[in-house]
Amino acid sequence: MKLLKPSWVNHNGKPIFSVDIHPDGTKFATGGQGEDSGKVVIWNMAPVLREEDERNENIPKLLCQMDNHLACVNCVRWSNNGLYLASGGDDKLVMVWKRAAFIGPSTVFGSSSKLANVEQWRCVMILRNHTGDVMDVAWSPHDVWLASCSVDNTIVIWNARKFPEIVMTLKGHTGLVKGLTWDPVGKYIASQADDRSLKVWRTMDWQLETNITKPFSECGGTTHVLRLSWSPDGQYLVSAHAMNNSGPTAQIIERDGWKTNMDFVGHRKAVTVVKFNPKIFKKKQKNGSTPKPSCPYCCCAVGSKDRSLSVWLTSLKRPLVVIHDLFDKSIMDITWTLNGLGLLVCSMDGTVAFLDFSQDELGDPLNEEEKNAIHQNIYGKSLAITMESQLSSTIIENPEMLKYQQERQGNQNPNEAQGIGPENQTPKLTNVLNGESLEDIRKNLLKKQVETRTADGRRRITPLCIAQLDTADFLPALFNSVPILPGSSASTQLTPQISSDSSTANSLGLRPSHDPTTTSPNKTAEDNKDSGTAAVNSIGMKSNLLLTSASKIEPMKALDSRFTERSKAMPGVTSVPLTIGITPLDRVKDSSSVKEPKGKDETSSDSEDKIMVKSIAKRKGEMEGAEVVEKRKKGRPRKDAKTMPFPQTPVEPSRLTTPIAVLKLPTPSIQKSFSTQVSTDGVTYLEVENEVSVVSGSRLSQLKWSREGREWDVLLPSRIIIAAGSSNVVAVACEDRTLSVFTACGRRLIPSIILPVPMSALHCSGHFVMALTASAMLSVWDVQKQTALVKNESLNPILSGTDATVSQSFLTQQGVAVVSLSNGKTYCFNSSLETWNLIADKQDSLVQCTDFRNCVSAQDALGSMGPLALTQGRNLSAGRLASRLSSTPHHLQQGMTLAFLEKQLSSALILLSASEYRHWLLIYARFLVNEGEMSKLFLFNRSEWGLELLTSKNNEKSTIKVVCMIPGYTFHIF
Amino acid sequence: MAKVQVLNVAVLDNPSPFGNPFQFEVTFECMEDLPEDLEWKIIYVGSAESEEHDQTLDSVLVGPVPAGRHMFVFQADAPNTALIPESDAVGVTVVLITCTYRGQEFIRIGYYVNNEYTDTELRENPPLKPDYGQLQRNILASNPRVTRFHINWEGCAEKMEDSENVDPAPNSMLPPSCTPGKAPPLGLLPDNSMDCL
Repeated sequence: MKLLKPSWVNHNGKPIFSVDIHPDGTKFATGGQGEDSGKVVIWNMAPVLREEDERNENIPKLLCQMDNHLACVNCVRWSNNGLYLASGGDDKLVMVWKRAAFIGPSTVFGSSSKLANVEQWRCVMILRNHTGDVMDVAWSPHDVWLASCSVDNTIVIWNARKFPEIVMTLKGHTGLVKGLTWDPVGKYIASQADDRSLKVWRTMDWQLETNITKPFSECGGTTHVLRLSWSPDGQYLVSAHAMNNSGPTAQIIERDGWKTNMDFVGHRKAVTVVKFNPKIFKKKQKNGSTPKPSCPYCCCAVGSKDRSLSVWLTSLKRPLVVIHDLFDKSIMDITWTLNGLGLLVCSMDGTVAFLDFSQDELGDPLNEEEKNAIHQNIYGKSLAITMESQLSSTIIENPEMLKYQQERQGNQNPNEAQGIGPENQTPKLTNVLNGESLEDIRKNLLKKQVETRTADGRRRITPLCIAQLDTADFLPALFNSVPILPGSSASTQLTPQISSDSSTANSLGLRPSHDPTTTSPNKTAEDNKDSGTAAVNSIGMKSNLLLTSASKIEPMKALDSRFTERSKAMPGVTSVPLTIGITPLDRVKDSSSVKEPKGKDETSSDSEDKIMVKSIAKRKGEMEGAEVVEKRKKGRPRKDAKTMPFPQTPVEPSRLTTPIAVLKLPTPSIQKSFSTQVSTDGVTYLEVENEVSVVSGSRLSQLKWSREGREWDVLLPSRIIIAAGSSNVVAVACEDRTLSVFTACGRRLIPSIILPVPMSALHCSGHFVMALTASAMLSVWDVQKQTALVKNESLNPILSGTDATVSQSFLTQQGVAVVSLSNGKTYCFNSSLETWNLIADKQDSLVQCTDFRNCVSAQDALGSMGPLALTQGRNLSAGRLASRLSSTPHHLQQGMTLAFLEKQLSSALILLSASEYRHWLLIYARFLVNEGEMSKLFLFNRSEWGLELLTSKNNEKSTIKVVCMIPGYTFHIF
Repeated sequence: MAKVQVLNVAVLDNPSPFGNPFQFEVTFECMEDLPEDLEWKIIYVGSAESEEHDQTLDSVLVGPVPAGRHMFVFQADAPNTALIPESDAVGVTVVLITCTYRGQEFIRIGYYVNNEYTDTELRENPPLKPDYGQLQRNILASNPRVTRFHINWEGCAEKMEDSENVDPAPNSMLPPSCTPGKAPPLGLLPDNSMDCL
């Protein structure tokens, strides 16, 4: 083992609270106190690893520092994919950083400091929710979620795919929450708080799985952090500060039953941080020795307020190494390199230390296949598959999962990844300058820049965009696939779009020709092949982890004396073994035991230490059984290319049995009971209970309607699959392929409608009922007038030729059926023309290039409410890009804006959405006036028929009044 | 944290005759799309003695601003000589560039300006009444003084979170309904407009 304290890693003497090594191992981040702010610094790893790099002045040590946090930074964590860095601080904020690849070194304008940032990391997201200091942040496996915990006693789970969406706020701690760790399997998240408890939460429903208090009852809330850690095999959770017989310990908690029978003993003061090595190891095979099946084990580093660090192998009863007086103050954070052989530790005293182990000391790290085989064996599934099934409700998951798998295959060659040092990466500019050099542009900037006058006569300059931020995945479609000029084809690559608009957020981003289901089963099969050998391994490993010791007080005494002996060494490195003080297990439970092979590295022959090994075969069987049951309960949505679960129905699709349909839409499965909210008033609910009673052999189902105390219920002879309602009608689709419609008072309106195939989606609005069947046929009925507006119209025209699936469907108040596809396009069916009309397209180049903001008045700046806004997302501000590009001439943009506005008008018209029509009409009129488009203005005067049409259809008095004064013209619209 | 970072300001046409318009080429970077325009102002400090003589040379809206790096040239006419005290016409004074978002000033960049006669004769014996036609304006471009203020980027001035970071611009105290653009009366300019220098 080598020990290094790189003195150049510092925050000018201010405390360093957190350290984290980047997954690619080329850099690491520190977080802590800055001059008058919080500070995050990104450092180059190479000078830490190699002395010659440290001496080489051409190799930068500091890569980037960010002073954006207003107060001390308590935690920095890289995402697992290495693209993002999350930091949490005393300013109650969580910031997410991303590297801006397009910018070279820069200094801060106006600052005297000549220190340039070699890499540019910019804050792409600020997550505000906590009302107190953020103490710890943690990315979930595969970066699906980001968790943050705070002194406000809560844990917030952020949707890392759709920042700043909050998935859940976990409440239950009654003290400052100071540490978080995700279960590597993805099933749980654990938190430790000052309220003397450690809580484990399920990720499936975000409810409390268990609350562990016993080992913490003696603890005082005196540690700054309580960073706990989960072992890479998922079997053990190790807490920070716990107490056992008045001695500070790190409590080992078993996944199986959350038993707390073992702990790491030896530190003299509270344990602040525990960090498992990401690797699982097996004993180094020595030449000449018989190749016995070696037992995998884990490695864990423990840091304490007593300023010492201990590193443990779960195959040894004593620590591998204990280092005293490494720092002047408490250890605050520990991070392992991904290869498992390096370790960075930081301290309140403002320094960091690097420990470098050899494979002789730690053992041979298992490769990813072996690790997966262990997971496969313990959990019955590999991690990747686990994630997929677990997140089946997260629709956007699939392409991401696929990407992850591809990435992981790519990462199998770690050498390649290592080769990419920071100096090899030339900053690339997202060129938007169309070949012109910056110098050329600067020469003519004043002449070229677009200057307009606002309505009130002010000068308005449109700045020239010289570089886009490469923060694509946090921004709407804008930067993903922007066809800047009309005529260029829209990119076919569908990047999952993160949109602030919740109604579109559900859209699927299935990548054509990559079907996750085709890869997963293969994977399973491979994993199954390996499971034979892995079984042996994991049993061995388990036995290794289950060390016990009869004596738990004596080792501590011995340890204390050793600690004092060595305390003068600066910094003292010793190999004095601590001893695991482990309370006896439930040793009676298992009679059969697996003999643990005696480790050769063991230096101690402490006879008092007994090794308690128990057979896991039985327990494993139990557990796997449980898993199977659970899986069956949860089910998994089929991932046919043509099917997808409907986001608005909280039920899962089941296997489809209809053979007739070419196009298939998923149908919800039957649930025992469910409830839905009706319409938008928020007080009306529909509750369905299937098989509520059995009368003479037939099973009855109950539909219950309630609104503010009033309620009615009806009984149906078949099980109800979907229920929907509006303020006027309630419709239910049953298992026997019937559709029943009731009034809002519970009276049956029409006898059961027989459907040819099962129902996929059902919507009610006003007096209209919309049915989308599993064979992708659409029907809309006006149940009051008893007429069909749309008769069995196929979705074939919009679905054929694409790999898109239906992501959302709804019915407007005027009975217009709207269907959104996963490719970002939204269509409505016009019953008079009997055509499908495209009303919204996320990748429409026109949307990106329009600028009509001058024409939006203050009162309608918020946008309009209505079906059009719902499908397009109200945030149309995503557009207006082109105006900033030097190459877009004003007249071209004007033309595109006009085309866009006219499209909006016609879409609002076809949706019979009067308020939106009015909204866009006003903007259109103002735009025409601003741009002086006289000819269109006169034409436009005649286009009022649209408004008349709408107002007559809507039976409402709607007037629109625009008075525009132009020299020589007075123009009115009423 | 600030959504807009000013990366550079290049002073164009410098030095130049006093009557030439000011030209600043501003490069800034924006973290995310700004729903509202930025408002930039050039303020000429007529006299170091009193802010009474400050002149807002021009104010301009800059937008729309999507996320990314942008540049523009801000050109404003030379100050109205009638408003400059004769005693202060020659010598060192200051020009300020400020930027506000939603009525809140978040950056203030100050430059020293030296106005002097190019003619040696005039320089040695300056006329009592300044001859603006002969004056040369030299902006000390290499030494900008930058003051940054924390503002509430999400809302208006009233919802300011950080009370300790009080925005010195008085127009930030105006209700948001006040239409920006009407150049504030000169007397309203901040007391501490020289503080940053």
